[in-house]
Amino acid sequence: MARVSTRRVVFERVTILLITILFLLPVFWLISTAYKPSNQIFSAPPRLTFEPTFDQFRQAFAIFDVVSLVRSSLVISIGTTVLSLLLGVPAGYALARSKSRFAPGFAYFFLAIRMIPAIAALIPFYLLMRDIGLLGTWWAVIVFNTMLNCAFVTWMMFSYFKALPPDMEEAALTDGCTQMGAFLKVAVPTVRSGMIACALFCMMFSWNDFLHPMFLTTLDAKPISVALLTAYGTKDITWGTLGALAHFSTIPIVLMALFMNRYFVQGATNGVQ
Amino acid sequence: MAQISFENVSKTYPGGKAAALVNFNLNIKDGEFIVLVGPSGCGKTTALRMIAGLEDISGGTLRINDTVANEQAPRDRDIAMVFQSYALYPHLTVAENIAFGLKVRGIKTDVIAKKVRETADLLELTEFLDRKPARLSGGQRQRVAMGRALVRSPNAFLMDEPLSNLDARLRGQMRAEISRLQRMTAVTTVYVTHDQVEAMTMGDRVAVMNKGTIQQLDTPRRLYDKPANMFVASFIGSPPINFMEAAVVSHDGGPAVSCGDFLLPLGISGARLSPRIGGKVILGIRPEHLKVAPQSRSTGVLSAETSFVEDLGATLLLHMSGHGIAIGHANMVEDERDLMKTAPKLKALIDSSHRISRGDAIALTVDPSLVLFFDPETGVTL
Repeated sequence: MARVSTRRVVFERVTILLITILFLLPVFWLISTAYKPSNQIFSAPPRLTFEPTFDQFRQAFAIFDVVSLVRSSLVISIGTTVLSLLLGVPAGYALARSKSRFAPGFAYFFLAIRMIPAIAALIPFYLLMRDIGLLGTWWAVIVFNTMLNCAFVTWMMFSYFKALPPDMEEAALTDGCTQMGAFLKVAVPTVRSGMIACALFCMMFSWNDFLHPMFLTTLDAKPISVALLTAYGTKDITWGTLGALAHFSTIPIVLMALFMNRYFVQGATNGVQ
Repeated sequence: MAQISFENVSKTYPGGKAAALVNFNLNIKDGEFIVLVGPSGCGKTTALRMIAGLEDISGGTLRINDTVANEQAPRDRDIAMVFQSYALYPHLTVAENIAFGLKVRGIKTDVIAKKVRETADLLELTEFLDRKPARLSGGQRQRVAMGRALVRSPNAFLMDEPLSNLDARLRGQMRAEISRLQRMTAVTTVYVTHDQVEAMTMGDRVAVMNKGTIQQLDTPRRLYDKPANMFVASFIGSPPINFMEAAVVSHDGGPAVSCGDFLLPLGISGARLSPRIGGKVILGIRPEHLKVAPQSRSTGVLSAETSFVEDLGATLLLHMSGHGIAIGHANMVEDERDLMKTAPKLKALIDSSHRISRGDAIALTVDPSLVLFFDPETGVTL
């Protein structure tokens, strides 16, 4: 058996550490900014020690309706995720179990929808939403993001269901399930890990999405990602306020990823037999 | 309890070259254990899946208890199936797997719990009830699959090669166990396998299938003693039967067969060959029917040279080449190409008390009443 030398392990660990620091440094800087007094943010050389203050948070809450921004972000991303899974999972299953030779082609066609630059669809979609009176609401963003994500979910679930031998569903049918029962009680729980991966993807995409809500929402329905940009560059708003606001933009999604990741790993290791 | 009957059932797949089932007729009696056996692609699994309602029927009628079942949904047939892959629900525990069918049918929780306990006791699964299938051994999973079928007391059990994923020792054990459970419950059972040992040991009747049709439907004993044709003769019996091309000749006023140096007078057992004197015939001699000839014998002796000896402990399996003897084999789908690659050898299964090694010349005899004869054109038993 080949033994990995200690030197190599040390080298690998140090490299990983350096790269991690490189990636996290801007995040750390932004987060730490929120706890610095305004006059110390741009001090040169940067000061590593400072007396933490919550002034920036007080400022952020004074200027922005943070609760409403976070709520918008949550509604848009949860709405998109639920709707995408609700449509994409059955569609993927139908394609995977279809006996048509065109089914795999269709699945790839759905993937291609995801490849379209969203901006190309945004203008016609804007007009469409205006005509049906949804422009400026959460629904406009949810429907647009669902259109993009659902295509991806369909393709992804198609591959998951395709890899699942039909035996289990057939066993469920002989056990007395209807076709729908076999899908809901056996096929869906078996591909749970795949669904969680899809959900995580949809959630992150919608939470971090800036462009679509920027165009499609008005002030009441604006999510935090859009607010972050409007915060930048105005006279009253300092880097410190931006740092404080960034907390509310990153913490929920990081928590969600950590929480879902636990189930994702569990689902993957439980696996099919 | 159920009677199941196929009447001229056929199955063709769109784009498929050959039909999976051709004019398939089979009557399965109530409480019977029937085995469908044959090489892969012979249509046995298709027939089984038709009974379960998992396969569309292209033509003909399938009846379950005198009701036409062609279009019946699987859930309305009340039939339990054990799959080759076991098809256990990976997200449910053993107990939930067994209870699934009952729960779907809306049976009361306390009744379910009682039945699951009884079934688990019967199959010695009690200590695993809380485990997920991923944490069970192959044998345990197999028993869970059995439990899932048994717990429902269905009209019929369908089993699709349920033992093929087990190791040899466990397979032998489960063979006996399944037979015992079937006798105990007396539920009509259709069992699909490609293993002729399972077919011989388990079924009340066995249907030997090839290319979508039943070659012979009979008791295991009759399949072995009186096979309908060369295919059945070669499929049933292990090691497989020897086929030799022979001429039918007249010897001392009666028919005899001659094959190279080997001349076998048939006596009364060969009376049916009398009209064929001067013609050709295929001999079928089972390896276990060949005996080492006593020194004194001169007629009816088959002399051969041993090219390979397999010592099986109690017996020796000899692979031999006979002088001027052409060994043939039946037209079988499975491993046909492999069979063609190697020139078939004459095989004999003899007592291990004989000291025989590679290269030895050996003289063998056979009781003419045990020899099978086949038409060289059609392969049908004469």
